Order: sequence, then structure tokens, then C-alpha cells
Amino acid sequence: MSERSLRAPRLPRVPAVPLAIGIGILIGGLLVLASGGDPIAAYREILIGALAPSNWPNTLNWAVPLVGMTLVAALPLRGGMVNLGGDGQLVIGGLAAAMAALYLPLPGPLLIAASILCAMVASGLYASLAAWGETRFGIPMLISTLLLSYPAIGIASYLVGFPLRDMATGLAQTRMIPDAARLPVISGPLNIGLILMAIVAVAVVFYDRRTVGGYELRMRGLNAKFAGYGSVRLAAQQVRVMFASGAIAGLVGAILVLGSLYRYQDGALLTPGYTWSGLMAALLAGGAPLGAICAGLFFAGLQTGGFAMQRETAIPRVLTMILQSVIILFLAIRHGVGRKSS
Amino acid sequence: MSTIELEARSIVKRYGPLVANDHIDLSVLSGEVHAVMGENGAGKSTLMSILYGMQAPDSGQIFLRGAEMRYRSALDAIGAGMGMVHQAFKLFNSLTVWENVVYGMEPTRFGFIDRREAARRVAALADRYRLQVDPNAVVGQLSVGVRQRVEILKALYRDARVLILDEPTAVLTPQERDGLFDIIRNLTADDRTILFVTHKLHEVMAITDRVTVLRDGKVVDRMVTSETSAREIIRAMTGRAVNLTVEKRPSEPGAVVLEARGLTVATDGGKPVVDRVDLAIRAGEIVGIAGVAGNGQTELIEALTGLRIPDGGKVAINGADVTALDVERHRDAGLAYIPEDRATTGTALAASAADNLAMGFQRKPPLSNGRLLDAGAVTAHAKKLIDRFGVKIGSEQLAVGTLSGGNLQKVVVARELSHAAPLLIAEQPTRGVDVGAIEFIHAQLVAERDRGGAVLLVSAELTEILALSDRVLVMFDGRILAELPAAEADEETLGLLMAGRVGEAHLSDGTEAA
Ligand SMILES: Nc1ncnc2c1ncn2[C@@H]1O[C@H](COP(=O)(O)OP(=O)(O)OP(=O)(O)O)[C@@H](O)[C@H]1O
Ligand SMILES: [Mg+2]
Repeated sequence: MSERSLRAPRLPRVPAVPLAIGIGILIGGLLVLASGGDPIAAYREILIGALAPSNWPNTLNWAVPLVGMTLVAALPLRGGMVNLGGDGQLVIGGLAAAMAALYLPLPGPLLIAASILCAMVASGLYASLAAWGETRFGIPMLISTLLLSYPAIGIASYLVGFPLRDMATGLAQTRMIPDAARLPVISGPLNIGLILMAIVAVAVVFYDRRTVGGYELRMRGLNAKFAGYGSVRLAAQQVRVMFASGAIAGLVGAILVLGSLYRYQDGALLTPGYTWSGLMAALLAGGAPLGAICAGLFFAGLQTGGFAMQRETAIPRVLTMILQSVIILFLAIRHGVGRKSS
Repeated sequence: MSTIELEARSIVKRYGPLVANDHIDLSVLSGEVHAVMGENGAGKSTLMSILYGMQAPDSGQIFLRGAEMRYRSALDAIGAGMGMVHQAFKLFNSLTVWENVVYGMEPTRFGFIDRREAARRVAALADRYRLQVDPNAVVGQLSVGVRQRVEILKALYRDARVLILDEPTAVLTPQERDGLFDIIRNLTADDRTILFVTHKLHEVMAITDRVTVLRDGKVVDRMVTSETSAREIIRAMTGRAVNLTVEKRPSEPGAVVLEARGLTVATDGGKPVVDRVDLAIRAGEIVGIAGVAGNGQTELIEALTGLRIPDGGKVAINGADVTALDVERHRDAGLAYIPEDRATTGTALAASAADNLAMGFQRKPPLSNGRLLDAGAVTAHAKKLIDRFGVKIGSEQLAVGTLSGGNLQKVVVARELSHAAPLLIAEQPTRGVDVGAIEFIHAQLVAERDRGGAVLLVSAELTEILALSDRVLVMFDGRILAELPAAEADEETLGLLMAGRVGEAHLSDGTEAA
């Protein structure tokens, strides 16, 4: 209520981020030390694993879905809305892409385009279902997005476990998609999914900064009552934004399926935990797209570095997850994220 | 009687390049009512929050009864016997009235809060001071006027020796204000000390002993109230003479712009807060709604503007039925709207002035082509309005949350007036703005009317209703109790009608009692 309780910048002030990272590194180091490891070696391996030029393709390849899922979370968050259903939307996108690639009778590039489009529309619609539920029936999206994830994951799991299962293997997965449907490779593990995601990232930043829709979303995030009073159609906006958010999740699913897995495999999209890392990155930046993208890239580096460290030393890569959490916790404490103003 | 109770020496407070308090010396005698006056942004609230320990000064000292105070927080000030009514209310919106009032000083029983005793005490306090509130109501659902009463009760409950009142009367009706003045007189008779911030000169003349005037963060004058005049105070504040009477020609009403039929807003269970209201506002007239806060004005306006879907009846703007539509459709049909709560509805505090001023213009040229915003045009639009309404702000890119109360109000008024819409609904349009700005806003509202706009004005300030309105509607208990032409309306008649005492009001033929 207080007219002055809000300090203007929601983003962490510049010095806070390095400080939080420093403290995270310190605590992580102490943990390694306490369990008998060599923290210097651990961090060296993380750095090399993430940043050595020969490892760039790996890091980037990991960053594509992670930054994608960061945008999935950041876009609604910019308007003060939360999409916790990234997992479900990712799975629906992946499955839709696989089915389109397997069953649509289209030639080469068209098949790719159609598969991606199917994935985006399917996930977008599924995400906007939650928005519609809130605007129409008052079911909070915080709950419905999360709950809608489980049936999506369950049904997808059933479909690839039974009707769509590839009988040639013993696993719950579809057949391999035809070569024509596979995303063209740029080099090594990198495919044009990287370019698609870069375009989406730029588009989101542009939308946020320059468009009427971006302005209205930002105002809603700062004060929804003000936006509604001022002429923003909140209900329509909510459905639109959730559609876009879900569509990006669908794109991530499609890129993973068409670009690296070449089939839909039960659980394969979810085990890396892109959704939650992405959500954390988005929260870290308070939904601001550019900040969120940077945070997403940082986490991607940390995680690929973690794999390298696990390979080279005996230290499990859980360390990087701890680092990630400590950094966020510390930033949250310093900035009172979510603190209620009286 | 004349020992110094509270003294500030050479207080300095800077916000970046801006010096909000520039070596301020202030001494307040025990048992006096001391007014602090100044234009919007002069530094009054900043000084008060420093005296109350909410902010630390950059330099300077504070003495309470001769002892230097070093506050770590407002808790120290409260401990030392200070109380404050904040201009920007400090209330928990999700808690009830009694919870807010007793917060920090709860009566307990066996170690638990004694809820019944707390509610009873709050009810008794409200009763004693004639401040009507329901102790069990949730604060967030109350209108600004009622929240003002809660804020006052909260300070009184603490039984402070020194009470700081930062614009406590901005949304009080004359009766409530008189009630508050009685309280103040009782307190000072008891040797309590009052620091009183207001923009209303008649209040200063009526209740205060001495006046300290600030301009641009500096003390420019100190006066003894009985030896000065309103005119002299205004001159000290503004450096010019201000015309307090509104110049206007008789109205020439045209076609009906806003029409409501049988408008009803129900509450859960109880009787309707807005009860079958009929009204019609025509182009070229200003219609004022008078009433004690809490009689349904807020809900009526919410139903008229689309912030709340009415439970019965119809609303039409320029002939288009907008009853169940959102605010956006109301605006499309021709509505501009100054809401009573500038901080929760009228602005986004964390957004820049440019963004706040662009709201409602963002889909049309020149600010955009419907899809892409023109950043240059947004800035130019903001600069123009800031300049025209004299908003005191460093740059249009600053968040409006740092503005003084009156300047924030000007941001809202500037934006809504610049729509030049066929219909303007103005709720407490001059709440918290200084005399010079009131003069300007009043002139703008009359210009709006003369341009052919229909204006619906809601104000707790009867002088404002009387000065501007061509017709006056009195609201009581959810209904329009009476309608008076401007010529028939005076403070006394309105006062009686607002208390629901139709029989005692001398209504002539031109007046309809509903
Ligand atoms: N937290 C802050 N950050 C930046 N500037 C501030 C902050 N608080 C106040 N100011 C500035 O300090 C100046 C004085 O503000 P203050 O609230 O004391 O004015 P005021 O005299 O109470 O005005 P009003 O009559 O409008 O309430 C204003 O220009 C305001 O913008
Ligand atoms: Mg003030």
C-alpha cells in the first residue's frame, strides 16, 4: 500500500550478482573440501568444461533448451504470472513433433517446418488452457499449470509405451524419424535449433522493449490493477502470453526430438531438468528477458562444466546444482524477492 | 506550556542530486499544534519520516524533550512516545481493521491475542472519536476515506505524546474533520504535541498555533497563526497570490453521456452497497457526488467504470451499453477516469513516469502504430504533461514511486485529462495536491466542461463540490438521497443530507428528495 515501499529497479543491482556468485563458489568449495576433494581442481574442470573453445559446441547445445525454457518461464513472469507447466508443455511439443515427423506425408524442409509448427501449436494451446481456466473459472495458474503437467507426461508416457512404441527396441520410445525430418547439422552436436532459438530470444527481447504488447505486459507485472484500469484487456492478454510461452516450450521439445534424439523417448526430455533450471534463471532476473537469457546461459555453462568435472575428478556434478541454488538463495535474500510490502 | 518538546537541527536529506531537506531547523513546543506547510515536493513528508525514525537524515540532529535521539528505526520513536498518521497509508491490506489498529500492541490473554477484547477496544475507540469503521472489515476492501480513518485510529490507539499527522484530512468530510479537530484539542489540552501537515489553509487557521513553511527543502518562514493570514501563508509557500475561487459560467448541458438505471452492487449476504441508483450526466455539465466515505460512492464508481461488474441495472456511455464490459471497453466508449487511489490503481509505482503517462495512449498514434511503440513519442508525451502540470520530478525516466504524494496525484490527473474524453469521472481529483495545483486542476475541470465534456466529480471536500458542480447528488447508505441544483446547495444543507437527515434539510422546490 505504501506509495514508496517499492524501490524502482527490480533487477539485482550490478554488484549483487558477482557477490552472490562469489559466495556460491565459496560455499561450494567448502563442501568439496569437507568431502575430501580439491576445490581448485573442481572449479578448473568446470571452467574448462564450459568455456574451453573445444567445448563450446557442447555448452551451446545444452544452452539451447535451457535458454528456451528460461524464456518459457520469463515471458509470463514479466507480467506477474507463473507458468510451472513447462515439463508438460515440453513433452507435448516433443511428442507432437515426433508424430508429425513420422506420419505427415511431406517432403524435406516442409516436414521439418510442419513438425515444429505442430509442436508449437499443441504446446501453446495446452498452456493457454491454464490461462483460460483462470480467467474463466478463477483457477489459479500457479496450481493449474503444475497440475496439467502430470496428465500430459502420463499420457505421453502411455502413448510411447504402448500404441506408438517402436517394437524393434525394448524401450518406451517411438520409431526413429525419417532423415528428412532431422534438423540440419551446423557442426558437431549443433544444429539449426541453435539459430531458431537465437531468433526466438531476440524476438522476445524486441517484444519486451519495443512493442505495445510488451509494454502492456510489463505494466501488468508491475501493477495488474493499474494495467486493467488503464485499458489493458487482462484476460485476453493472459491467454495470449501463455500461448506464446507454451509455444516456446513446444519449440524446445521439437528441437530436442528433431535435432538430437531423432525419436520421442519416454523421460528423455525431462531428466535434464531444463524446466526448473529455466524457471530459476527467469526468477533470478525477475522476468526481464535479457537478464533471464544471460542467467540461462550462465546455468548452461555451469551444468556442462559440471559434467566435465564429474568426468575428470571424482566430484559428482551435483556440486553445480548446489552452486546454482546457493546463488539464487543469496540473491533472493539480498533483494527480498517476494517480500510483501505492507 | 512552552518547553520545547521536539526539535530538529539542521536536518539534511538528499536523494541523488535532489536535496529534499536542506538544513531544516524546526522546534515544536509541548502542547501546541504546529503546522508544516509547503507545495508538493517541498519536503514535508520526508521531514516527518525523519522525525519519526523511518528514514535516517544524511546529517542533523533530533532532540526529544532535550535529549538527543538516535533512532535505529521507527520502533525507537514509537518507544519514545511518538505516533504518526502516514500520508501514504501504512496498512496491511489483507488484515482486518482491528488487526491493523492493535498491531504491535495487542491485548493478550494467556499469551494469546485476545481477539474479542481487541475488536471491542477498537470499536470503543472508533466510537469515542466518532470515526465510523467496522473493526472486522478487511482493510484492502475499504475505500480510501475509510482507510484514512483506520490510519488515524491506529495512531490514536498508541496514545502517543507527540503525534505527527501527514495530511490526515485529505479525504475526510467536513464532519469527520471537525471530529478530528475535537480530538486534537483534547490531546493538546492534555499537553500532547501535534505536528500537522496539510494543504488546507482553513484548517491551519482553525486549529494550529504556529506554522513552519518549507519551499524546495528549506524553511522559508515561521509564523504565529494568530498573527498571520491564509494569504500570507500562500505567499510564503508559492511566492505568488493564488486565486481560490473558481471562475465559471453557467453550464449549458447537452446530450446525456453517462446514464445508469437501477444500478445495484450487492455484498455477500448483507444489503446492497449501491442500491438501485439512477443517474444521467450530460455533456457540458459537472455533476458532483457528495457523501460520507463508505456510503457506496466507491462501489458506484467501480460499477460505472467497469472495474466491477454490477449485480443489477444498466450503464450506458454515449448510448452504448457497457454494463458488463471491462474498463477498456468503457474507455473505448469515451471514458477517462481519475481513481481515488493513486498508489494502487492510478499508477504502477515501480514504472517510470513516461510509462505511467503512456497508459491508455499506447495503442494509438502518436505513441504507437498499434504494434510498435515509438519511444521518442512516449518521452515527448511525458515531458509535455510533466511540464504542463508542474510535476516535480527529476526526469521522466524515474519511477513514480519516489514522487511526493501530491506529485503522484498530478501524474494521474495529467494523464486522464489529456485524453480529452467525452466523459470524465474524477474521484478526489485534488487529493493531496497543493493550493496552486488545486487552482490549476479546478480550472482544467471547468475547461473540460466548457469543451463539452461530461464530468462526474466525487469528492469528500465539500468546498470542492460546491465550487465546481452544476448539480449535486447526495449519496447516503447506497442510494442517491437527493439532487440539488448548484444554487440550492450549501455546506449546511449538504452536511445534513450526507448524514441522512432529509427532514431537517430545508429543501426548496428545485430540489428532489428521492
Ligand atoms: N525515496 C525517494 N527517492 C527519491 N526521491 C524522493 C524519495 N522520497 C522523496 N523524494 C523526493 O523528495 C522531494 C520531497 O518529497 P516529500 O514527499 O517530502 O514532499 P511533500 O512536501 O510531502 O509533498 P506532498 O505535499 O506532495 O506530499 C520530492 O521531490 C520527492 O520526489
Ligand atoms: Mg507528503
